Amino acid sequence: MTPNPIGLKVEQLAQALAERIVPLIVDAIDIDALLDKVDVEKIIERVDVDKIVERVDVEKIIDRVDVQKIIDRVDINAIVDKVDIDSLVEHTELGSIIARSTTGVLTEVLDVVRAQGVGLDDFVLRWGNRLILRGRRTATWPDGPPLLVEPKVAS
Amino acid sequence: MTTVPVPSAELTVGRQGHYAGAVSRLVAFAADVGASWGVYTLGVLLVNAALKLVTGHSYSFGQDKLLSFVTLTIWEFLYFAYQWAVSGKTLGMAILGLQVVTRQGAPIAGRQAVLRTLGLGFTLFFTLGIGFLGIVYQRERRALNDFIAGTAVVYDWDARAARLRWIARKEGPLRRGADHATPAASTHPD
Repeated sequence: MTPNPIGLKVEQLAQALAERIVPLIVDAIDIDALLDKVDVEKIIERVDVDKIVERVDVEKIIDRVDVQKIIDRVDINAIVDKVDIDSLVEHTELGSIIARSTTGVLTEVLDVVRAQGVGLDDFVLRWGNRLILRGRRTATWPDGPPLLVEPKVAS
Repeated sequence: MTTVPVPSAELTVGRQGHYAGAVSRLVAFAADVGASWGVYTLGVLLVNAALKLVTGHSYSFGQDKLLSFVTLTIWEFLYFAYQWAVSGKTLGMAILGLQVVTRQGAPIAGRQAVLRTLGLGFTLFFTLGIGFLGIVYQRERRALNDFIAGTAVVYDWDARAARLRWIARKEGPLRRGADHATPAASTHPD
């Protein structure tokens, strides 16, 4: 059976017409104004998220996730730096574990003597240099040997 | 019982590896002098007793001044040089949490330990202590004997752990529990 030549021509004309008219109509429509009229909240309210979630195969998604790759990307040191160890010791059982395992009378005495020593060292350094009018210049002195302490950055 | 308040973080945390100051070093040295003299005296007493036992005559080691001086000098040399060569710290330094390192911060060699010991004697007796002023006035807190041996003295004790111990003792659950149990006998300093 041969196709109707008139029907074919009408179809081509309609196609050409649509190709010209549709872009004109789309250009004429103000999408922003249209979206302003749409109540997105109402649409969201009508969506049954639980039903969607039920359809999702979470196990399949998890299987596709490369956890090792994610862990490799995480900077653990940066996270640990953010942890307030002092607060952790103060507010958890960790404090009692440390106290039980390391606290002895001798340790306590040593801690006190050493800390007092550091305080007095700073005091003598500060006042010794003030006496010869060198005062705050000691602040620019290195804290320690280069292999043990990072050099101070000049401000 | 009283508890010592937690010292400021500035005084304790992060001081490991920093140059040690004059007071810590002086106290450590005093402890070393006490320890070395104590061991020396004990050794002399033992030798005297042994001599008396063997010869039957009473003999005092201190009678011969020259012999005493030489023995004491050798003993003091061995006391400091050996300990510095083995671990970079003497008994007194270990108590105060100090360590001798090279100027760059590495462990010292045996040769440096020997030089530092000889330098210590020189600084003590020939400069009359003036050589120690560098601990306060030199930018790397180095005394004359440090310059002779190419060394420096740093804090070696784990101040971070000490601070945590303080907090654990003062504020930890054990302390809080004790405070709740016997509020009248509280040892909390605040």
